[in-house]
Amino acid sequence: MMRIKVDNLSFGYDYRTVLKNISFSIESGDFLVIVGNNGSGKSTLIKCCLGINKVPENKIFIDDIEINDYQKWINIGYVPQKFDDFNYEFPITVNEILTVSKLSKLDEEERLTLLDKMGILELQNENINTLSGGQLQRVFITRALMNHPKLLVLDEPTVGVDSDNIKAFYRMVNDLNSEGVTIILITHEIKTSKANFSHILHLDDGRAELTHVCDIDFGGDK
Amino acid sequence: MEDTLFISLSFIRAIIERSFMQYALITGIFVGFLAPLIGSFVVIKRLSMIADTLSHFTLAGLAIGLFFINTLGLPLGDPLYLGMIFAVIGALLIEVLRSYYRNYKEISMPIVISLGTALSALFISLSGGFTSSVYNYLFGSILTVSLQFVVIITTTTVVILTLVFIFYKKIVIVSFDEAYARLLGINVGAFQFFTTIILGLVIALAIETVGVLLVSSLMIIPVAGAMKIGKSFKNTLFIAIIFSEVSVLMGLWLSFVFSIPSGATIVLFNISILIMVVILKKLFSIYQIQRKQDKESQHSA
Repeated sequence: MMRIKVDNLSFGYDYRTVLKNISFSIESGDFLVIVGNNGSGKSTLIKCCLGINKVPENKIFIDDIEINDYQKWINIGYVPQKFDDFNYEFPITVNEILTVSKLSKLDEEERLTLLDKMGILELQNENINTLSGGQLQRVFITRALMNHPKLLVLDEPTVGVDSDNIKAFYRMVNDLNSEGVTIILITHEIKTSKANFSHILHLDDGRAELTHVCDIDFGGDK
Repeated sequence: MEDTLFISLSFIRAIIERSFMQYALITGIFVGFLAPLIGSFVVIKRLSMIADTLSHFTLAGLAIGLFFINTLGLPLGDPLYLGMIFAVIGALLIEVLRSYYRNYKEISMPIVISLGTALSALFISLSGGFTSSVYNYLFGSILTVSLQFVVIITTTTVVILTLVFIFYKKIVIVSFDEAYARLLGINVGAFQFFTTIILGLVIALAIETVGVLLVSSLMIIPVAGAMKIGKSFKNTLFIAIIFSEVSVLMGLWLSFVFSIPSGATIVLFNISILIMVVILKKLFSIYQIQRKQDKESQHSA
């Protein structure tokens, strides 16, 4: 189970309000896409839902548990935007990143299968500062999948990735969603993404509007 | 050659026969191990200046200790204890200031370093001026460490190594990726608080080896060289420790042979290794580019 409910959330940094009275909820197995202009608060909202940004009490619930009391973070995989927070100039191999990020008991066979599925099996012992943007993205998605997440959060994961890798990426995300993993995806490429999403959350000037996918006319693009 | 052998033999004989050389060797080996180990995490966090800041704040503790003991005649034992307490206070002060100035975290460093330097100058003056003790604190005095200090450094090394071993995964995640560490449920604030205290203690102890003015170089320079040639995280840690230990041993030997300051010799040897690494790395990349160009020209021919 992985249900998220956001109830009348407002959030800002210092004196600047980024999110204004946001309310929405998603159910287990949903595929939510968050769209909006730059600076509309998409990444801020994600970081609130992940507990990275501390929010007031009773504003966000994960599986009906108030977020400040939520403990099972191991159920959530997160691929951040541009990996800005990661220091990838100091030598560290792909395997070392995955090993220290692994909290669950993923056995060796499962680990190798996951690495193979993600196309990074042969990159295991490579230093990450030698990898391309696409390879690095696959490493971080693999890291997010190491703990068998029930929710996968992807913040603009295909920026700087070539079109072939983008197609392969969305195929993999759709497969995960069909296996029951709840997905939250921030993207600017909603029409071309080939993502089988179920809901769209549109953020505009800090306010949100949630739409079910069957109510949207894509003009044949999706 | 004979001279070199003679010098080596006299150095080895001194280690076997003289307790002060044994204490210096043990202290050097432990500090040479701990400093780059902790320094690696400092470099990853891009906090290289924190070592300098804490060493200056520790000097304030040492100076106040000297004032209490020499001027007021208080039975406080070794000023090192007050130095260690000040290292921890400085570490806490940095953390408080870093959370207060969230968008200008580096401001904490000049504030703490200024306070430390000002207090040091004041209490050095009040405790009798620039004595040999103050000189030793500034530039190190590994050849004068006591058995009591050897016991302290041995215990601290064992405790810190045990903690690093137990919390290795968490330390690496927090160092490389704070946001992801938070997501994994790690209390990053508490963790940083705790690791900064450890850093303060290591710095306070390393001051005995190379002194306040050079202690940050013992933590940072071996890592700066190792990260240019390391193939993995563990490999880089290993290389940094090797560089550091070689520098400590060579520095001890050279300072014994030529009667020159041990701290400065250790740091200069460290810097020599760094320069060699940078030059060899550059030469290697030129060689690789040439080899690639030769291969391409062979293909086109």
